[in-house]
Amino acid sequence: MSFEEFQNRSRLYVLGALESEELEEFEEARKTFGQKGEDFIGECYALHEAFALSLKPAKASSAIKDKLMRMVRERQQR
Amino acid sequence: MNPRSGTGLNLDGEGDAEVTPRLPATAPALAPGDASDIDLMRSIQAGDSEALSQLYDRYSGILKALILRVIHNEAEADDLLQEIFMEIWNHAKNFSSQKGKPLGWMVTLARRRAIDGLRKKQAYARAGERLQAETEQQPEAWVHNATAEEIDFADTRVLVRQVISSLPPAQQQAIELAFFRGMSQREIAADTNTPLGTVKTRLELGLKKIYDGLKELKHEL
Repeated sequence: MSFEEFQNRSRLYVLGALESEELEEFEEARKTFGQKGEDFIGECYALHEAFALSLKPAKASSAIKDKLMRMVRERQQR
Repeated sequence: MNPRSGTGLNLDGEGDAEVTPRLPATAPALAPGDASDIDLMRSIQAGDSEALSQLYDRYSGILKALILRVIHNEAEADDLLQEIFMEIWNHAKNFSSQKGKPLGWMVTLARRRAIDGLRKKQAYARAGERLQAETEQQPEAWVHNATAEEIDFADTRVLVRQVISSLPPAQQQAIELAFFRGMSQREIAADTNTPLGTVKTRLELGLKKIYDGLKELKHEL
């Protein structure tokens, strides 16, 4: 697999969109490309951030936050 | 096309102008004196609940929007959001700044939880539909809850949306189904009645364009 093909598959990989046979080939190529490959995969996770940031932020409930913080404090006290 | 497949990533009708694709690699800038995301994560790792509170204030809107985009239900999204922040608190030690940024870690976690929730919901809906068919009732419609309140037109979001909206609709749709529905290429092909090879090409081209947009902006900053 060329590095260009590895790059294409890395972008699909971080989305979980690789088919099982592609995943096997990808994992093999991952070993071949070593740190260079890992660095590229790491960069691809920025896609997740980009998709999330493309959405209009929704209003999060303050009641949910209050409940969350209560649970956290209870856990701390245990 | 399956009606529940959505119509692509640019559903809100904004940012349709053809522009040079540009994507920010970071969230909007912080006010002077604000703790960075990394600082907040380190404080959370040290057991500081105030840091979690600040992280919630900073990112709950983005994460809830992501969850809503996947599961389309306000009450379920609130419940899931709470669970996700609890998971952030409980598993903060798993975060490593060497592997990426806090927002990326949180988004990955939120997406996984939301897609898991969606799959359970779909399995439940399929069982429900079978029951309804047996009793000759109409299947429940797919509900899309709009979340238009408190729209924040931050530059970051606008730039991200510009590059996404510059993609051909078919590429947007394929990426939407992969990212927000967690579908594999085969599932997308079946859902959209499109050849598998075409789906693969659409995903590869669309993702490359978005990735290149991100990279370009990174170099500009």
